[in-house]
Amino acid sequence: MINSIKKGLAVSAMLALTSGAALAAAKIAIITPYLAQPGTQYYVEAFQEQAKTNGWSVNVIDTKGDVAAVISRIEDAANQKVDAIVINVDPSQVTAGLETAKKAGVPVFGMDSGANPLLVTNVTSNGYEMAADTAAYVVNRIGGKGGVVMFVFDAFPPVQVRGVIADTIFKNNPDIKVIDRVTPDVQDGGIADARAKMEAILAAHPQKGSIAAVWAAWDQPALGALQAIEAAGRANEGIVITGMDANPQAREAIAKGGNFEASMSQDFKGIGRTVADAVKRQLAGEKIKQSVIYVPTKLITMENVKQ
Amino acid sequence: MLMFLRRYGTLVGIALVFVYFWISLPDTFVTSRNLLNITQQMSMLAVVGFTMTVVMSMGDFDLSVGAMASLSGIIAGIIFVSGGSPQIAILAALCTGLIGGAINGFLVSYIGILPFVATLGSMTVISGLAFRLSGGKTIFGSIIPTSFSGFARGGMELWSTELVIPNLTLVALGALVFIYILLEHTVYGRRLYSIGGNVEAARMAGVRIKPLRLIAFALSGLGASVSGLMYASRVASANPTQGASLMLDSIAAVFLGMTMSDEGQPRVLFTLAGVLILGILGNGLTQLNVDSYVREMITGSIIIAAVAASSLSRTRTG
Repeated sequence: MINSIKKGLAVSAMLALTSGAALAAAKIAIITPYLAQPGTQYYVEAFQEQAKTNGWSVNVIDTKGDVAAVISRIEDAANQKVDAIVINVDPSQVTAGLETAKKAGVPVFGMDSGANPLLVTNVTSNGYEMAADTAAYVVNRIGGKGGVVMFVFDAFPPVQVRGVIADTIFKNNPDIKVIDRVTPDVQDGGIADARAKMEAILAAHPQKGSIAAVWAAWDQPALGALQAIEAAGRANEGIVITGMDANPQAREAIAKGGNFEASMSQDFKGIGRTVADAVKRQLAGEKIKQSVIYVPTKLITMENVKQ
Repeated sequence: MLMFLRRYGTLVGIALVFVYFWISLPDTFVTSRNLLNITQQMSMLAVVGFTMTVVMSMGDFDLSVGAMASLSGIIAGIIFVSGGSPQIAILAALCTGLIGGAINGFLVSYIGILPFVATLGSMTVISGLAFRLSGGKTIFGSIIPTSFSGFARGGMELWSTELVIPNLTLVALGALVFIYILLEHTVYGRRLYSIGGNVEAARMAGVRIKPLRLIAFALSGLGASVSGLMYASRVASANPTQGASLMLDSIAAVFLGMTMSDEGQPRVLFTLAGVLILGILGNGLTQLNVDSYVREMITGSIIIAAVAASSLSRTRTG
């Protein structure tokens, strides 16, 4: 008796769930281990809006940090012969799944995932461009001269490219001296250790004006440096700080009009929309040549931070 | 009839779910390719589940398996970074699992710490070690030899080239045979079940409990490291948290299996059934476009329903 109730419940639960699924139109699976992260949510929402206009049926699969499960779900989706798969995970870690999809003839698109020959294309922000914008901002604000502290992280390729560009721009200005090129400990994202490192650098350069700017390859070390400068009572020296990614904490700091003056905002929604556009073109039979499609980014300063 | 339902209720339930998937997904669910795929997807969980069955047959738990699987991948990854061969990497990872498991066993049987507490503690230590050794980063890319990452993509071809039994499935089958013989056909296995039945009675009967328990935990550590290596090969990378989901899933698989066995004991063949239930649900619900969070709710509900039905029918008749 109880067993039959159990079976009945299980089956009816599934019937109820599947009756809503659309049968017509293109089927797209979005597979990511990172749906809990704010950026990923923006891409996915924007993609879904476009999908609704196109009449697609979208299945969003979150494996909650489990990369092997991403491979399994790519295999499932390929077996199910969906029309396209969109991933938001490093493609080199899911090659096994990408090969299965290729064999099944299902195209896979990267949503800020990294370029890979097994992907039709990858849609992302241009890290070179973002670094150039903030580094140029720093140069212009300090009139091309003074000491600059850099916070970089060369072990992670997407952040490494930012550092390279900033190096080049600072080197191109003979009166700019890079005082230190710091790689903070990133266990907590980098705020705490960047603050400690910046405190040490401030102590080593006690004269007013000896540090003109802090350029950070992402927001957390910029925020740590800001805390150190404020705690040392040197907020009024005009030290210019820039970060990157424009996270909410950074936006708040920029809006206050203090030392933290600029950051770069990636257009996460634009990335989601552009992936949808690429999928649409592919489904229409177009052959996409670009292995990476860049979505423009924006310099965020006090003038536009509230928009 | 009631006896039949009590014993096979879960199996019948999952058979119905299977048939339901078959009907709803006529072209893509019951294909040799998809079914082989499921076995490959579940192979890592299966290995941990089998060795977890050994520990649970004594009524104990090993909470450190997920952390140990992650650590094994990291150990192999670090050896690749320093230029070591896959053989050395695999050996070192397996030794880590065996030693870590033996330490768990020592804490439980010789020091007398409750398994739950001992392995909770060691889980934290092992996880910390995995983070320390890797610096919290994922080890990936060309550092991982293709002979290592290729293993998880390869398989044994059957008569036709279309049908390939994945290597990971073969590893899981090997572990199944080993644990099945160990638990069901050796004195060691019978003694573990006698400890699980009644520790005092087993002691009175002259069973030397301490070394048996130590070996069981060592096996669990070894199983976890095998699984961690399989995972690392599959994702061609190592990350300090990648095995984390294995711990609760393996315990769930053993519990699901226990609802099918006569005495409600953990039996490795039923653990296999438990693992397959989780795998079939994961695969079928994905193919049916069920939202991934709803998929989790359904899976959890089915585990509760199976265990509840089994324990209710047991108390009714018992």
